[in-house]
Amino acid sequence: MSLDDLLPFISSRDGALELFNLRRLPRVTLYFRKGRLNCVYLGSKPVDALQARSVIGELIEARKGSFEFIPNAQPRVCPEVLGWPVDHLLISVTTTSDEYAQLADRLPHPETVFELTHIAVPDDTRISDFWKRAHIYLQEGASAQQLATKLGMPVDHARFYLLKLQQLGAVVAVRASQKQKRERRAGVAARLLGSLKKRFFGEGSAWSH
Amino acid sequence: MEPLKVVVAGPVGAGKSTIIRTLSETEVVDTDALASEEIGKETTTVAMDYGTLHLGDQLLYLFGTPGQDRFDFMWDVLSEGALGLLMLVRGDRPEDFGPARRLLDYITSRHPVPYVLGVTRQDQPPVWGPDEVAPFFGVPLERVVGLNAKDPRSAVGPLVRLLELIMAEEQAT
Repeated sequence: MSLDDLLPFISSRDGALELFNLRRLPRVTLYFRKGRLNCVYLGSKPVDALQARSVIGELIEARKGSFEFIPNAQPRVCPEVLGWPVDHLLISVTTTSDEYAQLADRLPHPETVFELTHIAVPDDTRISDFWKRAHIYLQEGASAQQLATKLGMPVDHARFYLLKLQQLGAVVAVRASQKQKRERRAGVAARLLGSLKKRFFGEGSAWSH
Repeated sequence: MEPLKVVVAGPVGAGKSTIIRTLSETEVVDTDALASEEIGKETTTVAMDYGTLHLGDQLLYLFGTPGQDRFDFMWDVLSEGALGLLMLVRGDRPEDFGPARRLLDYITSRHPVPYVLGVTRQDQPPVWGPDEVAPFFGVPLERVVGLNAKDPRSAVGPLVRLLELIMAEEQAT
């Protein structure tokens, strides 16, 4: 049974769903109350909203693992109550997974550095959760690889969010030529340009744009 | 005089091999192989294309990078210390703009290399023009040039623009 089949089945009950024997994650515990996912634990620690989305995404992709439901169990500590209706969550995460698959060849390289163009929180909660945590690093310039490490999320998810922010015009790729000095070859361009025009357009011909 | 290199990059089928063949004065060394996946053509570059151009007493190397992601290490190797980067994208294949932007962003964010974006197939309308492509890539219009990679006088356009931009930058500093 996949997680997207399992969640609706048990989410109407209060309690904790423990998932283990997962390939890429330690034990995950999801706490439900009144049809809402209120808290996610990764191992023994609660995670924030951004990490919770990543964890749910990974669980849906995982396909293999074991689970146990503990009725009425609630977390001892939950610093950030998520309050996500399970049906909305499933649609949101499934949409993200589908979108991710479609965008695979366009996702930025993990080492491409991006920076903010303006400070404005995106409306879409999937992206705004990421933005709220990432914008401080993006002010200085950061790559998906760096953000994944700092925010504790899979690098592919960071790449997805960066692409979304790029499409919204909220971030742009940093051009190293504007940040770093490069080797100057004084006069070379002028010399080459003259020879190039002579070769392709002939003596005295002007190249027109 | 030390040779200089210009890197030609872009997604599969953008016209990298074609432009190098058009501009090179020596026979192009290519490393085409039968495509192992469906990429819209029978062969593709698997290591690099290499051509030369003598401009006065200056030798210019033209290096074409393979388009597939699994050769991304070549992008760094070839871009290091390059005079400039010509990023090509097919104007009649907007589905390639995303992968091309990904490649342009990667190279230019890691290497302080001057660049120009060449939009190929301008001789085969309907096709996207430079003014339509520039906003997608988030680059100034002056850095985008339309071309037909098979026509020498058109294919040289991006290289001319690249040199003009380098000159303008040198004069400004």
